[in-house]
Amino acid sequence: MAERTRPYGKIRSIARKETRELMREKTFILSVLIQLFIASFSTFLVIGLTSFYDPTIMGDIEMQGISIAVVGTGDNELYRLLRESKLNTRLYSDLTPAYGDFYEHKVDAIVIAPPGPPEGEEILNVDIYLPKSEIKATLISLQMKEPLEEFEQHVRDIRTQRLPGYSPIEVNINKRGIKTSSTYFEFIYVALLPLLVFTPAFISGGLVIDFITEEFERKTMELLLATPASMMDIVSGKVLVAVAIVPLQAFAWMMLMGANMIVIRNFFSILMVVTLIGAILVLISSMISISFRDRGVSQLLYSMILIFLFMASYLFTNSPLNLVTRLSIGSIGTAESTLWMGIYTLVALALGILTAATVKRKYDNN
Amino acid sequence: MSGWYTIAKWEFFRSKLKFDTRSTFLLAFSLALVIAASFAAVQTQMSMNQKIYTAASSEPTLRPILESDQRFSYMPLTIYEATQFYMYGADLVIIGNNVYLGDSAKSAAAGSALENTIKEYREAVLTSYDDINNSHPVWVTVHDIERPQNFQLLSSRNATGAMEAVQDTGNKDRGEDYPRGEITQEYLNRGSSFMLPEDISELDDYRGRAFFQKQTLSTPSFFSPPIPFTAILYAFLFIFPIYFVSQFYSTSIMDERTNKKGELVLAAPLLSRDVVIGKTLPYIIVTLLIQAVITVYITGFPADMRTAQSSLLILITIFPVVLLFFALSFFGAILSRSFKELTFTSVFLSVVISGYLFFPAMFANIHAISSISPITLIVRLIEGETVLMNTYLFSTLPFYFVALSAFAFGTYIYREEDLFTQKAVPEKITDCLEMFLSSSYGSVFLLSIIFIPFVYMTQLMLIVMLFNLPAPHSVVIMIILSAMAEELVKSAGIYTILKRKLQPANLKSALRLAALSGTGFFVGEKAVAFLTLAPIASSAFGAVMTMGTLLLVPLALHISTASVSSLVMYRFGTRRYLLSVILATLVHSIYNLFILRGVLLG
Repeated sequence: MAERTRPYGKIRSIARKETRELMREKTFILSVLIQLFIASFSTFLVIGLTSFYDPTIMGDIEMQGISIAVVGTGDNELYRLLRESKLNTRLYSDLTPAYGDFYEHKVDAIVIAPPGPPEGEEILNVDIYLPKSEIKATLISLQMKEPLEEFEQHVRDIRTQRLPGYSPIEVNINKRGIKTSSTYFEFIYVALLPLLVFTPAFISGGLVIDFITEEFERKTMELLLATPASMMDIVSGKVLVAVAIVPLQAFAWMMLMGANMIVIRNFFSILMVVTLIGAILVLISSMISISFRDRGVSQLLYSMILIFLFMASYLFTNSPLNLVTRLSIGSIGTAESTLWMGIYTLVALALGILTAATVKRKYDNN
Repeated sequence: MSGWYTIAKWEFFRSKLKFDTRSTFLLAFSLALVIAASFAAVQTQMSMNQKIYTAASSEPTLRPILESDQRFSYMPLTIYEATQFYMYGADLVIIGNNVYLGDSAKSAAAGSALENTIKEYREAVLTSYDDINNSHPVWVTVHDIERPQNFQLLSSRNATGAMEAVQDTGNKDRGEDYPRGEITQEYLNRGSSFMLPEDISELDDYRGRAFFQKQTLSTPSFFSPPIPFTAILYAFLFIFPIYFVSQFYSTSIMDERTNKKGELVLAAPLLSRDVVIGKTLPYIIVTLLIQAVITVYITGFPADMRTAQSSLLILITIFPVVLLFFALSFFGAILSRSFKELTFTSVFLSVVISGYLFFPAMFANIHAISSISPITLIVRLIEGETVLMNTYLFSTLPFYFVALSAFAFGTYIYREEDLFTQKAVPEKITDCLEMFLSSSYGSVFLLSIIFIPFVYMTQLMLIVMLFNLPAPHSVVIMIILSAMAEELVKSAGIYTILKRKLQPANLKSALRLAALSGTGFFVGEKAVAFLTLAPIASSAFGAVMTMGTLLLVPLALHISTASVSSLVMYRFGTRRYLLSVILATLVHSIYNLFILRGVLLG
């Protein structure tokens, strides 16, 4: 970075002082605790939310003891499809006994099969009655989706022939016995992994604001400046510590995920990306805190910029978050990933020079 | 005018001055950037999962479909190359109508993604025909109907332990509203009116609505079970501003402490209570105003009495949440020795409280346990449902109690020797307790009662975190951790007394204190159980918290486990505090495991 040409000694002693304080105040431990906390929620999310998307994760055990009442006739196509699914069905010819059994918890849902023929003209409506505010309602609606879609397909096979020029897409996907849904896979690699490895970078950005504004608010900056250390040394030391702890934490995260049988490819490239982004964020927030000196204002501004960057990363392929995803599952070539890491390095360098300029402008004139 | 008013006025004007023209401009600018970026992100429909699967194809027929989904990057190959698609780094290959997958999890995920993409593409093509009778011939209408129920979070038979509610069929005789006679669909559908769509454009209406409202009418392909995104969205809208304001609030408290700025305030003839109230009120008022604006934004301007009432109820429900956020930031700001520590404390507390608020709320439409979180109540109010008084108490009382006691304890040490010295955190907490215990009404008996809401919230939090683990394990962990929480608070007062030598340390007083503390906890626990725990009392987790209905046994238990820690501290000194708590937890857990053996093994 820009401070390479300056003597290292003073920077190192500032860095050592900051590290010592960080450890003494146990803030670093606290930060790891926070991240562990988020992680424990993440497992909750992984199991809880993906089971909503994909009932197969929950297994079929949950469906035992749940049965649904179908009101209709025995030759009804929907009844046949429901019977073939994992659900237990009971056929009723009339709604009244079905409701009685529903009320007494003998069945947990009522489906009114549409009597109309698939060849007909009018829309076929399936009325489903579910028990209000019971978890069973969710489970049943999850399990009913597939037979309902098959029923729709069955009717469509007949009716779409009336649409001019429509030819259905026939694709035969040959599966190879590995059961995973895209939702689950994408949740792990698109949401969880990037969020976990970048959390240390987000935290370091906030941390450096405290490092710097604290010196102003406690009026200790003057004392520090009275020593042979220049403003540049002080800022560099603080930046160095804040950036250095980023890969350490990210490394720990990836090891933990590895222990949970989540395979991560391009381990070191990911660490590299995370460190670069950490440097970018830390440099931005040191510039902010040198300019404003007030902790509240700086933190607010920093969080705004963080949200902006987060939103902006939706806009292009190989945004830091997407780059980590693609690296971790090996969906990016070496040339492309090197190019983007180069771009982020350039951004970090530019910000380093900008920070140096800000320090100069603020402290060489007065 | 009373002292707190002066402080409040002063605080209000001072915090306004912190923003000069430059920072206000930059803030407005960055806010505009955020809005622009979010808008662009929505417009371009981009997401984080761009180009994560590589699809190779020997023929271009499926190319437009693959390119409609940003997750795929498309790779044209010749038939010969396609048969060896691994070598080209593809996850799946399309030859003719056949799609072949590799043998990795990523390939399997790519296959499942392709299935969905094709489905979406098909729906888009069919919708373009604008002939609803032939393109979307089947519709699903979902109705929710009530039936008598009895919630049980985890049944002993359900060893897989997911969030299943098992109904008790034992209350058949209660069916006073059971409609005898003929049941018609009109009877069941009363109150709800779903009209089948007339043309294709209405399909989009129903889909668009699905995000904000519970989906009730849809085609099977678009039919999605109630994933309660709404709850998270609302929670975020309400909670986000609180983060920011509490950030400023804790900075302001901290400001008083750095450079001893606040010493003048303390030297003034003001009670520390007045200073705390004065410094807190402006922030609470500002936050409540923001919350009111958000409420109006979501529910629309209250037109009549009923909507005005529900908007007011939303504010009343959010109030304890705001209070808790501020109370904990206040306490955090008093305890932390530096801004760094404060940042971590406030982030940590925000994460904890948001977890507590968000995760139960995700199940807002589904599960009884969700009413732990006030956000669930807010979602219900927004959806036009009514919230019963006991539900309100159940979810907000812990917030009120914890917030008020955190403020009270913080105010105790709002004095020179704690604010302006670098005392360690445990020392400061001990200071709080000492101040309380040496005040005229203070005793370990009362202290145990005051701590009940803290334990209660911790235990609810544990339920939220653990109820997804497999059942026997989660209950065992729950037993150990909640026993630990209880033993920690019961022994905290005894620790303070012995450490600060408030009472002579002898065997008699050690036992007396243990008896007092244990009884206090017992009394408080029963009061809480009586007041609020009814909704989840019948679940296994509820059983862990209340331990059944036997009265004398738990009393004896609380006293004897408190004695364990008290005696260890008396015998080996207060430095062995942690050891004493661990021993007491051990005894407590063994007892609880013994009582709940039926649930665990049956």
